[in-house]
Amino acid sequence: MEKAIQTTAEAAPERRGCGPEGRTLLAALRHDRELLEQTGHYHGISDLRLKAENYLHYESLHARLRSAVVNARETSKKISASPGVREVGESVVALYTPEGDSVVLSTGIMVHVHTLSRFIQWMIERDYESDPGIAHGDVFANNDPFVSDVHPPDLMNVTPIFHGRELIGWVGAVAHELEIGGVYGGANQTTTAERFGQGMIVSAEKVAANDVIRRDFFVRAEMNLRTPVYFVLDEKAMVSACIDVREKVLEAVEQYGLDYYKRAIREIIEEGRRAHLQRMKMLTVPGRYRSVAHAGHLFEGKVGASPLSRNCIVQVPLEMTIDRGGFMTIDYEGAGRKMWNPYNCPPAAMDGGFFVTLTQFIDFDGKVNDGCWFATRMICPPGSWCNPGDDMTATSSAWGSLMPGFGSLQRMISRSFLARGFREEVFLGQVNTPIIEGGGINQYGQRFGGQNLECSSEGSGARGIMDGIDCGYVGWNPESDMGNVEIWEMILPILYLGRRIWRDSPGAGKYRAGATYSTLLMIHKTPLYNIVSTIHSDKVFDNQGMCGGYPGPTAKFEYVSRDTDLAERIARREPLPHVEGDPRRPDISTRVGGDFRVVDGVFLERPLRSGDLFQFFYNTGGGYGDPIERDPEAVRRDLDNGIQSIEIAESVYRVAARFDAAAKRHAVDEQATRKLRAECREERGRRAVPTRQWMARQRERLLRHDLGREVKEMYNDVFGFSERWSREYREFWSLPDDFVFTV
Amino acid sequence: MASYPKDVIRDLIDGKLPWQTTKPIMSDFKDERRFEIYLEILQERVPWKERILLPVGEHLYIVEKGAARIVKCDCGHEFGPYTENWKLEALVYVRDDERSLDEIYPGARKCDPGWMELREYYCPGCKAQLEVEAVTPGYPVVFDFVPDLEGFYRDWLKKPL
Repeated sequence: MEKAIQTTAEAAPERRGCGPEGRTLLAALRHDRELLEQTGHYHGISDLRLKAENYLHYESLHARLRSAVVNARETSKKISASPGVREVGESVVALYTPEGDSVVLSTGIMVHVHTLSRFIQWMIERDYESDPGIAHGDVFANNDPFVSDVHPPDLMNVTPIFHGRELIGWVGAVAHELEIGGVYGGANQTTTAERFGQGMIVSAEKVAANDVIRRDFFVRAEMNLRTPVYFVLDEKAMVSACIDVREKVLEAVEQYGLDYYKRAIREIIEEGRRAHLQRMKMLTVPGRYRSVAHAGHLFEGKVGASPLSRNCIVQVPLEMTIDRGGFMTIDYEGAGRKMWNPYNCPPAAMDGGFFVTLTQFIDFDGKVNDGCWFATRMICPPGSWCNPGDDMTATSSAWGSLMPGFGSLQRMISRSFLARGFREEVFLGQVNTPIIEGGGINQYGQRFGGQNLECSSEGSGARGIMDGIDCGYVGWNPESDMGNVEIWEMILPILYLGRRIWRDSPGAGKYRAGATYSTLLMIHKTPLYNIVSTIHSDKVFDNQGMCGGYPGPTAKFEYVSRDTDLAERIARREPLPHVEGDPRRPDISTRVGGDFRVVDGVFLERPLRSGDLFQFFYNTGGGYGDPIERDPEAVRRDLDNGIQSIEIAESVYRVAARFDAAAKRHAVDEQATRKLRAECREERGRRAVPTRQWMARQRERLLRHDLGREVKEMYNDVFGFSERWSREYREFWSLPDDFVFTV
Repeated sequence: MASYPKDVIRDLIDGKLPWQTTKPIMSDFKDERRFEIYLEILQERVPWKERILLPVGEHLYIVEKGAARIVKCDCGHEFGPYTENWKLEALVYVRDDERSLDEIYPGARKCDPGWMELREYYCPGCKAQLEVEAVTPGYPVVFDFVPDLEGFYRDWLKKPL
């Protein structure tokens, strides 16, 4: 997928329009891109004149605009009724040029800063200027992934900023909805194989005029959503944010002057572009980087899954090149074909994943905007899951493929930081974010649908000089917040028996990943709660460690216990389960009577009801460095804090520890630890073989077609799709040129 | 532009600097001499004399050995030219069954060995675990990084290679 604008509008660009210098918006967009192409500078700006002439004046405008979007987001959160926005902060507000390039953005789900760009440009390309027309006070809404979005829960709104008859910019705002009216309730619908079934879709519609949202738009939401209050108030919140910023921009234009404003917003973007390239040269090393991630999905035999969806492994290969100019190109060549399941990614989703990664790793302060976008390039093979080219494709669980992919990008950028000496910036952050969603009858006796978005604060991958972040990170929103237990108990028919650190969850390493947590829910006051899980990887690790660290565990399993004797145990004041306990004999199976099961993969089971128990596990990332080089004192601390078990301390970290009951803390036997670690190195020498020797055996295995069905299907899919990747694969293993697996 | 003494950089990369000192370093503009000081610190630590050109892992470096540029472990083991994947000259242990995976991931949290395996690459010299790959069986050994050394030194550092 190239980022070049593909124009489909038939409108004559030479007619007088509402854009800069009387151009139509389409002509302005084309002109802007031509300037970039011809000069290499955004909007053809070769000198930052305003900055040079009066730095403080220029910076004061930037600060004022940035303050406007941050303030508007904070205010709008108070209008929303959804804990997704109010508690977790699933929203973002940004200001754009007339051509749809971001100038400043708020904190929040920055993944959507560029999806909004694409939305505005989608309307420009299709000449919305002529029909349905663009006027002061209009608001355009969208959650159609193939207009520009990640998936339908992300409802975006944009409004134009007019100065007189000239459109001088746009304001955009996005909120993630907890219920979007899909087949089972919630937002990230994991059962649908096509676009249909993802929920209510709004495709680039004008929903407001004169700053008033149309009544029929709300009627549509009220008739198509199980719990429309979230959508309705989120819509009002986002529109209020847009209007708020628009008015503040117009005030700024009055103060600074129109010509100054128009020049400054473009200098701000050009400055962002230059800063990005300078940082690349300052922080990284040019060259070629490679990585791969995988995500697995179980559908076959699952009640409620589409019969079109098969079990599959998504191959997410990624190559990053940094050239001598500091220009970064990332290439997903080797990605498989689009799928009959909701783990495809529309182009906007890939844009969003790339943008939010850049803002966390390279462009984290200063002029954070689309400037970095013009100093990078992303290639997504047409027809693949990351560029389906088919509007009918399902993308509602796109994050399940995005996060492994952009987690790879984080790791590759981190490798360049390591090479350059900036180890404090090494961060294996992003991992999948499993979500509990669903619907049924809630504790108020009403039909409902909704998500529990507490996944917004998982464990992160490790860092290059310290452990990862415990229960406090998510890739798509650096401003992570899991929300209070009480707020989720208020909107869903559940009571928490536990939300505790999941022992032994961090990917192991010299620096471990952040600990993540599990949630143990008692289903409460409902005869019918159809819980479904989504956005995680079945059967395969979806992340990697670095420099000898292990990946974080796969979290795609759930514990469920039905027909429990919980009420009786509570009445007798007996101990209840709160944590996982022994993973081979979990507390939920021993501390309460009932029909206990471990469910592998997506949870698509018969509905739960009051008194049933459901335990869910969140992801965390990979560790950094050889685990046997971890400071034994750090292991001891983790033992005291319940993050690690003695078993893992010994088997993975090779630390001899015991619990000192008198001192009420763990103690490490340093001499025994040194012995264990020395033995570990000897053991490694005995059990390992030279890689080339192992490769020769593997080649024989491949020639025998001795792999699992899903693995062979994954390779065959790519063989028939990516010539370059297939050639490299066959060359690596010295296989015949026409080799394919027999399934 | 920020600048830090060598001792501070040493403690920083060793993870020994207090968070109160680390955080401002992360938030501030980066120090221009970092790479130079970083190489000095690393060079002082290794027991061999070859010049380090670029670190590529916790234990691995691209070094100048005569006219060649090779990957070398801090223990002294040499893997070969940096333009070829050092993993092919390493030792490998593959966790591809329930028992071996259970040592790291007890219970349900492990991958299905039919769908994925863990490859642990060790240094043949010191047996340090240098990288772990989590990949589908049959996936080629990943070549993580091939730097553009000439471009890096000549164009970015403005120094001879």
